[in-house]
Amino acid sequence: MAKVIQPFDPKDVVAHPEAYFRRAYVWQVPVRITHWVSALCVTVLFLTGLYIASPILAPSGEPAHHFVMGRIRQIHFAAGIIFVISFLVRIYWFWAGNNYARSGFPFVWRASWWRDLFRQATDYLRLERGHVHLGHNALGGSAYTFFVIFLGWVQIFTGLALYSETNPAGILNKLFGWVIPLLGNSYRTHMIHHLVAWAFPIFALLHIYIVTYDSTQYGNGLITSIISGYKFYRQGDIRNDEWLS
Amino acid sequence: MNNLSFLSTYDVLRQHGVDRRDFLRFCVTTAAAMGLEASMVPTVVAAMETKPRIPVIWLHGLECTCCSESFIRSSHPIAQDIILNMISLDYDDTLQAAAGFQVEAIRKKLIKDHPGGYLLAVEGNAPTKDGGVYCTVGGDTFLNVLKETAEHAKAIVAWGSCASNGCVQAAHPNPTGAMPVHKLITDKPIINVPGCPPIAEVMTGVLTYILTFDALPELDRIGRPKMFYGQRIHDKCYRRAFFDAGQFVESWDDDGARKGWCLYKMGCRGPTTYNSCSTFKWNNGVSFPIGSGHGCIGCSEAGFWDNGPFYQRLSNVVVPGIDATPNTIGEVLGAAAVIGVGSHLVSTVVRQNARKVHVDDTPPSGDKGE
Repeated sequence: MAKVIQPFDPKDVVAHPEAYFRRAYVWQVPVRITHWVSALCVTVLFLTGLYIASPILAPSGEPAHHFVMGRIRQIHFAAGIIFVISFLVRIYWFWAGNNYARSGFPFVWRASWWRDLFRQATDYLRLERGHVHLGHNALGGSAYTFFVIFLGWVQIFTGLALYSETNPAGILNKLFGWVIPLLGNSYRTHMIHHLVAWAFPIFALLHIYIVTYDSTQYGNGLITSIISGYKFYRQGDIRNDEWLS
Repeated sequence: MNNLSFLSTYDVLRQHGVDRRDFLRFCVTTAAAMGLEASMVPTVVAAMETKPRIPVIWLHGLECTCCSESFIRSSHPIAQDIILNMISLDYDDTLQAAAGFQVEAIRKKLIKDHPGGYLLAVEGNAPTKDGGVYCTVGGDTFLNVLKETAEHAKAIVAWGSCASNGCVQAAHPNPTGAMPVHKLITDKPIINVPGCPPIAEVMTGVLTYILTFDALPELDRIGRPKMFYGQRIHDKCYRRAFFDAGQFVESWDDDGARKGWCLYKMGCRGPTTYNSCSTFKWNNGVSFPIGSGHGCIGCSEAGFWDNGPFYQRLSNVVVPGIDATPNTIGEVLGAAAVIGVGSHLVSTVVRQNARKVHVDDTPPSGDKGE
C-alpha cells in the first residue's frame, strides 16, 4: 500500500539539509535595491496616477489654502524620477552584475531559450516540480522584459514627455518632447500613458502569485531571495540554468 | 496687377486715414505680442514704413471661412485696416470683388509676375480621394490649384486647423481623404497656425513677423510658431489655482461651476492644448471659452474631433478601436488575471490534496530531475 507522505517533509529537511538543498548567492545588492525601489515607485505612481486622471477629493474654501492636486502631482513626478534612476541603475547592472542579473533577457535566437520557455509553461500548467532555476526562467524573463522593461520604457518616454510640457524650453522637452508628435498629440500621449499604467498592477498580481507558488511548491526560497539574495536549490536544478551561458 | 503692391504698409495706412500715433500703437502692441523687447519696436516700425507689402495669394479649400472671419475681426481698433492693408491681398476668392475667370486669371498672373516672391496663405485643406473632385475651384480641383500655386510661393502659411492638421473634414472616417497642407506640399517652408479659428492677434502677429524680419518665426516640432503655440492653455489659465488645489466642477449647475472652479473633470482640453487663448483671449480680450465657464475643446490640436466627447475627461473616454475607457480595459484585464491566478491556485490545492493520498514513497534525497 502506498505510504501517505508530504512531497517535502519539513522535518527531513531540517535533519538533513544537505540532502535536500544547497544555498547559492543569486541576487546582488543592486538587483535587490532596484527591485524594491521600483516596486514602491510603481505602486505610488499607479495610485497617484489614478487620482490625477480622476480626482475625487474636493476640498472646499479658497484655493489658496489647498494644494491637493498639486501635491499629488509632485509625488507622482518625484516617484517617476526615482523610478527612472532605479531603472537606469538596473540596466547598468545588466552588464556589470553576475550572470543571474542577465538571466531575464529574452535570448530568442537560442533554441534552448525556447525549450526552456515551453518547459516552464507546461510545468506551471501541469503543476509539477522538476524545472527549477537559480536565475530567471525563460517564461519569467519574457514577462519581466515585456511588462517591466518594454512597458517601463513606454511609461518613461510618455511620462517624461508629458512632464516636459510644463517647461517647453527645458532640457527634458528637447530630449523627450518628440514623443508627443510621434503619438499624435498631447491628448493621445496622456491616453497611452494611462492605458499602459494598468499593465503594472496586473503584472504585480501575476508576479506575486507566481513567486509565492514557486516558493511554496519548489522550496527554492524565491520570496526571501529578493531580500537576502540567496536561493536554495537541489542538485538537479542547476542544470536548468545552463541554457543561459 | 495693382500698384498697391509697391507701397509700404505705412503708406497704405496713411492713405486710409490712420494717423501715425495709431500706427505706432499697433507696432508696439504687435511687437509685444511677438515677445520682442522694446528696443525692437523701431525695427518693426521701419519694416512697416519701408518694405513693400508682401503679395499674398489667399486660397480657400475645404473650410468654413472661420479663419477669415477671425482675421477681419482682429481686436485692435485699427486692426481691420492694418490687417487688410498690411499685406497686398491680391487674390482672395471670398473677399475680392472680382469673380469667375477674371479671378483665376489674376492668380495665374501673380504666380508669373512674382515667382518665389509671394506668400501663399491657405485656409482649408484639399480632399485627395477620387482625384480631388470633392472640392473644385473655377473648374479645377483644389488639389491642383494648391499645388500649382505652391510651386512658386516663397512660403506657405497654413491658416487654421484645416490647413494645419485636417480638422473636422479629416476626422474619422475622412470620406473625402482630406489632407493638411504639410502632407501635400513638402518642398516649401510651411508655417502652421492651427485653431478653429486661430486667434486674430496670432494671425496678425505671424504676418507682422514675416514682414519685419523677412523670415518665418521660430517653429516647434510640428511647424507652429513657438511664440504663440509654445505653451498649453492650462499653463496660463486663470483657473489653474483651482486645478492645483483639487477643486473641480462636477456638473454644469453645481456650486463649483458657480464659483468658477477648474473644468478639468468636465472634459476641458486645456491641459493638452497648445494655444494662446488664455493669454490673448478673444474678441478684444473680452473672454475665452474657459472664462465663459465652458471647457476648452482643444480645437488647435491635431485630431481633436476624434479625441472623444468634449465633455468627458480622458479617463472616461473610450479608446479608439476598443470601445472601452482605459479604466474599464484595465479592470477587465485585471479581472481576467485574477481569474487565471485563482483557477491555477485552486488546481494546485486540489492536486496537492490528491498527492497526499496517492504519492508513492520516494527516497528523501531523490531528485526527480536526476
